[in-house]
Amino acid sequence: MSRTGYNLRTNYLESNEVIRRPYQKVLVAMVLAVAVLLPAATSTFFVHLLNLCFLSAIGALGLMLLTGFCGQISLGHAAFLAVGAFTTVILTVHVGAPFVVVIPAAAVTGAVLGFIIGLPSLRFRGVYLAIITLAMHYTVIFLATSYQANFAKSASAGITIPDPSIGPLVIKGEYTWYYFSLVLLTLVTIWCVNLIRTRPGRAWMAIRDRDIAAEALGINLTRYKLMAFMVSSTLASVSGSLLAYYSNVVTVETYTIDLAVIYVAMIIVGGMGSILGALMGAIFMTLLPFGIDGLFSYLPREWRYGSTVFGVQVGAVGICIILFLLIEPKGLAEIWRRIETYFDRWPFRYRPLDTTRH
Amino acid sequence: MEFAATIVILTCTYALLAAGTVILYKAGRVVNFAHGELAIVGGYVFYSAGLMSGGTSLWFPVAGAVVFSIIMGMFIYMAMMRRLVGEPFYVAILVTVGIGIVLKSAILVIWRAERLTIDVGVTPAIRMAGGATLSYMDIASVVLTVAFFAGLYLFFRFTRLGVQFRGTAENALLASQRGVDVNFVLSLAWVIAILAASLSGVLYGGRAFLSTESVTIGLAGLTAALVGGLDSLRGAVAGAFIVACAQYLTVRLVDPVLSEAVPFLLLVIVMSIRPWGLFGTQEELDRV
Amino acid sequence: MEKHVSRKLFAAAILAASALAAPAASAQNAYVIGYITDLSGPLADSYTPTWQGFELYMKALNDRGGINGKKVEVILDDDGLKADRAVANAKKQTERDNVVGIFGLSLSSTQAPVFTEMRKIGVPVVTTFSGILDALPPSKPFSYSTGVVFEVAGEAIGELTKNIKPNGKIVGMTFDSVGGRAALSHNKRMAESLGYTWDEVLFPVTTSDFTPFAQAVAEKKPDIVVGHYGSGQNLGVIPALRRSGYTGPYIVASYGVTEDTVRQAAVRAGNDENVYYVTRYATIYDNNPGIAEVSAAQKKYGTSKPFSSMHLTGWTLGKFAETALKACGWPCTREQLDKVIQTLKVDAPGLTGGPIEMSPQDHYGPTYWRLYVWNPKTTSMEPKSGWLKKAALKFPLQ
Repeated sequence: MSRTGYNLRTNYLESNEVIRRPYQKVLVAMVLAVAVLLPAATSTFFVHLLNLCFLSAIGALGLMLLTGFCGQISLGHAAFLAVGAFTTVILTVHVGAPFVVVIPAAAVTGAVLGFIIGLPSLRFRGVYLAIITLAMHYTVIFLATSYQANFAKSASAGITIPDPSIGPLVIKGEYTWYYFSLVLLTLVTIWCVNLIRTRPGRAWMAIRDRDIAAEALGINLTRYKLMAFMVSSTLASVSGSLLAYYSNVVTVETYTIDLAVIYVAMIIVGGMGSILGALMGAIFMTLLPFGIDGLFSYLPREWRYGSTVFGVQVGAVGICIILFLLIEPKGLAEIWRRIETYFDRWPFRYRPLDTTRH
Repeated sequence: MEFAATIVILTCTYALLAAGTVILYKAGRVVNFAHGELAIVGGYVFYSAGLMSGGTSLWFPVAGAVVFSIIMGMFIYMAMMRRLVGEPFYVAILVTVGIGIVLKSAILVIWRAERLTIDVGVTPAIRMAGGATLSYMDIASVVLTVAFFAGLYLFFRFTRLGVQFRGTAENALLASQRGVDVNFVLSLAWVIAILAASLSGVLYGGRAFLSTESVTIGLAGLTAALVGGLDSLRGAVAGAFIVACAQYLTVRLVDPVLSEAVPFLLLVIVMSIRPWGLFGTQEELDRV
Repeated sequence: MEKHVSRKLFAAAILAASALAAPAASAQNAYVIGYITDLSGPLADSYTPTWQGFELYMKALNDRGGINGKKVEVILDDDGLKADRAVANAKKQTERDNVVGIFGLSLSSTQAPVFTEMRKIGVPVVTTFSGILDALPPSKPFSYSTGVVFEVAGEAIGELTKNIKPNGKIVGMTFDSVGGRAALSHNKRMAESLGYTWDEVLFPVTTSDFTPFAQAVAEKKPDIVVGHYGSGQNLGVIPALRRSGYTGPYIVASYGVTEDTVRQAAVRAGNDENVYYVTRYATIYDNNPGIAEVSAAQKKYGTSKPFSSMHLTGWTLGKFAETALKACGWPCTREQLDKVIQTLKVDAPGLTGGPIEMSPQDHYGPTYWRLYVWNPKTTSMEPKSGWLKKAALKFPLQ
């Protein structure tokens, strides 16, 4: 295989390869090694931020499968997270169920809701579907608010849930959570990669590219669209449950429509139709406000405490998103692809072929 | 009487927003998620311009809002939307989300997040049975909305620019080949849309209040536009009326808390019967 | 050109990453405390003046020479009313800035997670303006509040209603949030136990026009209407109620509602004498030395927000912090600070109806509430009742 041909596929078997470049194995190993060793070299605060990145990346992967691969736009991701979180609350507080029961239960609840929300997708597309998922969002939040308000006589404080434990191992503290979520994210990523390499993934991509053609090819639209919604909401629900466990507190005010938009931003900034993009987008969008906080912390304190600087920070997040989309609408994954191609071709500098994304 | 007046005024606010959404959609196939923010910032600009002129004349704040719409519309189109031609539609949508965030931050920085009310003509003009009142502002909002839609109709129907506009909406490539300045027409679409939004922001600031929270009216406008059909101005009015009715009746007859979700549920029903909206065209379904 | 932009962005990203990842040591020759609140989110309008009141107190304190010759350094962070940012900033402050305690915080949604996280590391947290049940008996460790707990406010408002009308029908309004519902249910409980009849109207959080809701309220023919929400809703609801034909008494609950908001709302409502205000902290119209002191500091150092009772709230928290740090001594550790706060008594004459008293069992203490009425002739507020003492309550109430 020639070194210029990594982006060109000449037979169907090749398109099933996960690792195409010889150095990619080394790269993946290196990234994992750095990830394992990182906590030793940085602060608890940063480890905490990474935990948030990893846990929300699970949700972002779910949305990527749905939107990036199956082409169904959803603004209901915050509601799916809420479903996971409130399943966790109900099971731990009322039943006292252990972690190993709660997570599968959250997954099942998420899948059921995903199925229900998937039904309109059989008829609506694009923006229309997005607005319908908004209706679902408000309904779920209404139910969750009612539950939280009536759960205890007075629950304005949010509902506390205990640290999870698997057998004798209690998952507690930033560092334990770091390795736990790292392992989990790795497993989910591998699962997602395999999913899109096999029949469902192929079917989703066909539906995304042209649903009528896909149907003509014999793909059962009903089945695969519903499946995409179910897989997506399952991952979101699990992610919501884990985030709830991690923060030990569940309160409905967390799950705003802004949160749903942030998840959509994650996959667009990361790069539609790329698993790597979902991971990078989740990390980017989670770290962005804190990064901007960090940049502004270089300002003199007197200056910074003037009340407007924090408003400027909010705007900086928006400007980052806009600039990003104007300069690189295909997302972080595309930047990464260009870097790879550059090294593939080195020392030549001719333009890489613009091939279809995988 | 009271309920009819409330529904009509609500319809006006939503119809202006929905009209903007429809114009932008028709012109550039962009669904604008920053419409609520644009409306509220327009209201803030109106307020500040009024403050600067000492609150004596109404022309100054009106001019302020118009200048804001022109600058904002030109800028959004020229600096951002023009560059996104050919990208998937969700990229443009997310850019408008980004614009919304920046506008929210403008409220924080320029107006220090202050909650404001626009107190123009709030004194009661009509007193109805039961003690309920209608202010001059309420009456003005109906008159202005009707005038706006009438103006829009005349513009599209009878002016040269209006015809060019319709041509561009039909097929931008062909229009440009026939010598239409497509960039100008599309910037104009943004200016008109923001002008309508600002007007609705001002009306809203007179009836409720302006703040970073009130940007959610944009969603109601979007829903109205979708119910009526994304590519139909007539539909925008009809959609606004239906959403206003649905909200009002939910508050009064069912449960006030549900009035947030009901417009969306209504949308689901309308779309199950006519997925392209009440007055929309079927071909548009595939575009977004 | 685009290449340069992306390079600059890349450089900025590196800079930001280094600011995030690098542990920064702060000079330990001052008391370092943290302050986290909503400075950019939906409630920034209410929380910014509270912070400014706190900052005024700290500026004045440091100009006086600080505590025992040591200055107080405040690390300020914004949470934008988001729980994850509040928690992350609390972790940053405790680890990197090494703060001994955290003050401020915004709404209940950010308080609960911060309390929980800080309890794990043992950092005392004192909230202001709005508080949550963690601080009330049975109090959870390290969680304190000097603010308005919705449940307690509901009880107090219910009791103070007696000063307007001894009986009749009360209609409570709130938006559909957990805090709003909590306040409403306790207002109802108290009102019914005092012989009023009760009805309520809830509206969604993102309500765009209040008129339909106001009409629903007016139709219930209430004698008194109570609004359990922040500034903006009052601005919208009061005129809407008047438009709908309800001209009776309306009570504004002071959840971050400034005097200026009440003025605006009262003016829009047609300047009648039926707008009331229930508050835990005094209003700026009160004439006493305590308020004069804050006002003088405000004139000296300046604030971007107009002077309001939210500044008084922040100022009182500043006083609380000073008293605690003084009692803690030097060097002050987190354990020591927590220990002294448990028995702290802070008197803010003129700003509250009575001292803030903490005890190991009760991290909230008794609170004092007062009813004011808006006077359109003098454009100020006048007290309509004495200070009502609400003793420590144990929730859930039976």
